[in-house]
Amino acid sequence: MNIFDRRHETMARAELELFQLERLQALLARLRRNVPRYKKTLEGISVESLKDLAKIPPTAPRELAAAFPYGMFALPLREVIRLQSFVGPGGMQLVNGHTRNDLIQWGRLAARQLVAAGGTAHDVIQIGFGEGTFAQALGYMLGAEMIEASVIPQDAYHTEYQLAMMQSYRAGILVTTPTQALKLATAIELRGIDPQSLQVRTVLLSRPLPPDEREILRRALFADIRCGFGVSEVLDPGLCTECAKGRLHVNEDQFLAECENGELLVTTLAREAMPLLRYRTRIACKIDREKCLCGRTGAVITPGERLDGRFRVNEMPLYHNQIVAVLEQTRAAGHPFLLNISEDRVDISVKVTGELFADTVSRMENLRVEIESEFLNRLGVRANVSFLGPKAFEERERDL
Amino acid sequence: MLRVSNLQCGYGSLEVIKGVSLHVSGGEIVALVGANGAGKTTLLNSIVGLLHPWHGKVSINGRETTGQPAWRSVFNSAVLVPEGRRIFGDMTVRENLVVGGYRNAARHLAIEEVFDRFPKLRERQGQLAGTLSGGEQQMLAIGRALVARPRLLLLDEPSMGLAPLLVKEVFRAVRDLKEHGVTVFLVEQNAVGALGIADRAYVLETGEIVLEGDTADLLHNPEVKRAYLGKGYKEVWE
Repeated sequence: MNIFDRRHETMARAELELFQLERLQALLARLRRNVPRYKKTLEGISVESLKDLAKIPPTAPRELAAAFPYGMFALPLREVIRLQSFVGPGGMQLVNGHTRNDLIQWGRLAARQLVAAGGTAHDVIQIGFGEGTFAQALGYMLGAEMIEASVIPQDAYHTEYQLAMMQSYRAGILVTTPTQALKLATAIELRGIDPQSLQVRTVLLSRPLPPDEREILRRALFADIRCGFGVSEVLDPGLCTECAKGRLHVNEDQFLAECENGELLVTTLAREAMPLLRYRTRIACKIDREKCLCGRTGAVITPGERLDGRFRVNEMPLYHNQIVAVLEQTRAAGHPFLLNISEDRVDISVKVTGELFADTVSRMENLRVEIESEFLNRLGVRANVSFLGPKAFEERERDL
Repeated sequence: MLRVSNLQCGYGSLEVIKGVSLHVSGGEIVALVGANGAGKTTLLNSIVGLLHPWHGKVSINGRETTGQPAWRSVFNSAVLVPEGRRIFGDMTVRENLVVGGYRNAARHLAIEEVFDRFPKLRERQGQLAGTLSGGEQQMLAIGRALVARPRLLLLDEPSMGLAPLLVKEVFRAVRDLKEHGVTVFLVEQNAVGALGIADRAYVLETGEIVLEGDTADLLHNPEVKRAYLGKGYKEVWE
């Protein structure tokens, strides 16, 4: 069985809960002392068993934003050796801090996922997330180094170059995003490459995919498809380990996962720089604590859709209000528009009113270029703008 | 082996231990480190029954022992080596060991084993214990506890008042105990020494556990470094 940390991953339920309670009590003591936000909210609350967890008020994403950048840190900035910036709910900028111990632990947790996906010290692990997102790649790199595999780190290589690297270095495991995996699959087909010649055994994807989409990638890349799952505010990757049975086990020696009103709440039990208590992840979920044949005892989580309206373009998280904010900066501000989100771009149809209409093509073309470049500059995503007359706009509205 | 749940206790109306939970599994060395006045000795005393807990539970070897008198802890195969050694200075080394094994019918066999473990004690078995050096007295205190053949040994500041070389010797002796199947709960102010030999550790600050983890991780923890390795700062956010 491919288990990296047998002691913690297969710990008996009773012992696991004992650890969780002790770590939770220690965490509460630390937070009361070091984080002003928790000093107030934890006053008078004592936790004598895990059932008392419900007494603790949850931490909302807006509290992270209010305390941004360092207000939620439980240690002075000098102890924090990495500041990992990410997009939080509503498109706000948030940061996660890591101490040296946090990074070591992150590496161990990512290693659990890599080993569960079949990674060993004898493997070449290629990490290629393509354009867009890099934070997860850094976690997988720590994990690959932890298991002493030969790792090819994330770099700004284009798809063709990545494919050439796969052929040259014979990577056994490829860590990538679903979007990038699809691009690779397309490139393989276009070039007439036999996917079996690539020698990739497993493709580890950065987020869960439905079975039918996994199957498409499995056939195209001729490799097992495995998926990780994490939450940027908590840890991604590292929150869960997907086992050979395709179940996402929460690393419960490090995280306490709850499902409250269908939403996933996570408490970080061992993080030093920025511990979170009952953090509302804004992700729907189901939690199951039945035994799994893989031997891991961590709760099995089935993540659902985002509850905050977040969507993804080219793996970049995006919110509706961010798009409106960008349009507000252009001459199309205040005009009705329709959105169509695809895997790698945002299609925007702007209704042309008398005020916006210009009788020269170049003026409309300038406006299109203006909007598209604003999207690329401000959000890092490609946009495709079209102008529709009132009738066509209504028709498109009906279609969408 | 040892399980403490939500233990609260203190002196008079002063609450010293404010809801502590910890556990020691069989075959482990677990350290409890904390500064002077953190409540380490109070916690240990309430575990063995020298102090009556206000709230919470203690169980040793799967049996609940909360509030039992201290003398009964030896019935549960748990023996305390108290802070400051507390050997009987006016008795000989051998007599001290005999007292330690008052419940053990085969104590003379156990005493021979202690002599094998600490040869200096054999050399000085007829000498008054009060005339031994600090390190030898600590060996005697540990040896006295071992004569009772404990499964769980609770050590309260074994390195206190000893020269650095002797501290090393005492810690080496404690590590050897683990290899002979004795589970050890080590309470220490000398964090570096204790974390060097323990498998896991808890950090106690003003009556609360603030950290738990594998010792290798705790040695790199900024709070441990601040409190015990002389790296200080006053404000959390500088």
